[in-house]
Amino acid sequence: MTNAVQSAIILGNIRSIQDDISNLLDDGILAQTILDEHLLPGMTIVGERFKRNEMFLPQVLMSGQAMQTAIDILKPHLLENPNQEKKLTVVIGTVKGDMHDIGKNLVRIMLMGAGFTVIDLGVNVPSARFLEAAAQNSAQVVCLSALLSSTMNNMKEIVQSFRHDPKLKDTLILIGGAPVNSDFCESIGADGYAPTAPGAVKQIQNMID
Amino acid sequence: MTGRDRVNAALQRKATSRVPVGEIGGGYTELIVQKLLAEDYETGPDAYFQNHLKLRQLLGADIVGARVTGPEVVVTGIHPDWQTETYRDFWGATYTQPPEATVQLVEPIASTPEALVEWTPPDVSQFDKSPIQRWKQDTDFFVLATLNAGFDLGYEILGFERFLMWTMQARDVMKSYFRKLISTNLQLALMSAEAGADGILIADDLAFNTGTFVDPNYLREDYFPLLKDMIGKIKATGLPVFFHSDGDLRSIIPDLIDCGIDVLQSCDPNANMDIPTLKEEYGQQLAFMGNIDVDLLANGTPEQVRQTTKSLIRDARQGGGFILGASNVVASYCQPENVVAMYKTAHEETE
Repeated sequence: MTNAVQSAIILGNIRSIQDDISNLLDDGILAQTILDEHLLPGMTIVGERFKRNEMFLPQVLMSGQAMQTAIDILKPHLLENPNQEKKLTVVIGTVKGDMHDIGKNLVRIMLMGAGFTVIDLGVNVPSARFLEAAAQNSAQVVCLSALLSSTMNNMKEIVQSFRHDPKLKDTLILIGGAPVNSDFCESIGADGYAPTAPGAVKQIQNMID
Repeated sequence: MTGRDRVNAALQRKATSRVPVGEIGGGYTELIVQKLLAEDYETGPDAYFQNHLKLRQLLGADIVGARVTGPEVVVTGIHPDWQTETYRDFWGATYTQPPEATVQLVEPIASTPEALVEWTPPDVSQFDKSPIQRWKQDTDFFVLATLNAGFDLGYEILGFERFLMWTMQARDVMKSYFRKLISTNLQLALMSAEAGADGILIADDLAFNTGTFVDPNYLREDYFPLLKDMIGKIKATGLPVFFHSDGDLRSIIPDLIDCGIDVLQSCDPNANMDIPTLKEEYGQQLAFMGNIDVDLLANGTPEQVRQTTKSLIRDARQGGGFILGASNVVASYCQPENVVAMYKTAHEETE
């Protein structure tokens, strides 16, 4: 059954993943086990294949949809278990002025696949909304995305807002998007830069270790 | 030597005293035109033509981009979230521009594959080709007519994620969609040729910085045969075909050559698309255009731009087949002094 769930994730097969997850739950497998041992390894494979250009955007988006379907089924069961390990929360969004979301969505999919709780604020997100969401959800990490050279400069204001907030100043901030790089990351005082969606997961894991 | 002659000579791999330089499409966003022309910027009824003419003369550009134009957009209402006007273009998609943000698709041409089957592209027979005629008759720039094919336009009016997912979930529908878009754009290309265009640019983003959006094998099976047919019909008019795509195209350059393109434009160094390296491998079959990083034009200094341009010309000019320009268009966030530095260097580096 492990292979069936993983295959459904890798193939982005929403229909079969619904059946496979229900079967595992019926067999008494804990939701947390399904997540940790079946779904997350499947998404790890997706991330690796995408990085190696063996999977492409359409396939990754479909895997993301399958993953979301599975999590929606598991969510009530996960909430029932008080002993479950608390996952790190990441707030993600495309910065103000920028309506591009594919890069941000890929990072969201990869983060979900790595087991993070992801709060997606969407596109054109102002600084205040990032702060509000980080505070409300006790997020350890905030990911900022921008596709344009004009909008990447809005990242600086967001980083400064976090650094000036006594409660949120230690929030880890990761940036990504076509025009940004590690020099820019350093210049605005962000904690990390990732050039690719799978790289974002690795970078966050490095930052929190 | 006119701009038209210089570009043609470069495409024929003939020697020119300096490399041709210019941009695709509108070339320079209006804010840049305004900044560079300063008090010479016009606002009258013929302002677009006059401003873009003066700007190219000021910079010493060899190329002007122009297109056959369709009907004006139709205002359809007010967006409930942003209180901005929503408007529908002639393809049938509705957009809005939120305050201080980029344009947002509000309503795609279809929200189900079934609806996409029913979608019909616009009748282009009444479109206006006079912009191309005018640039050709009144100037000696190389007139590069811009249009699209199936990808870039395809996802713009359908929505990017929907488009990508349907390439997997509704493959036949998407193939028929590509056929409709390509057929309509072919008509625009033939109208452009008739109007006097010197070259046809197909703007069709297929990739991002780390590779193609979709599996190259998918493109080979479902898309490139249609593109090849379109390009063959354009080339039958005798015009060279330029192809614009951002991103890392290295896995599909041989396919694009097989489709018949003559010039590959964009060549973004951030996507590992360096023209000197590409010329070494494909210079016999393909000419290249672009390669000056838009981010450098936005965030660099004039001296950095000058050095980069100088070194690119030195490494890429040998044997022709090279047109200098920005790795996309000159965006509004580029620094005017950097744009001037790029063009000035192109004029100084003579042989």
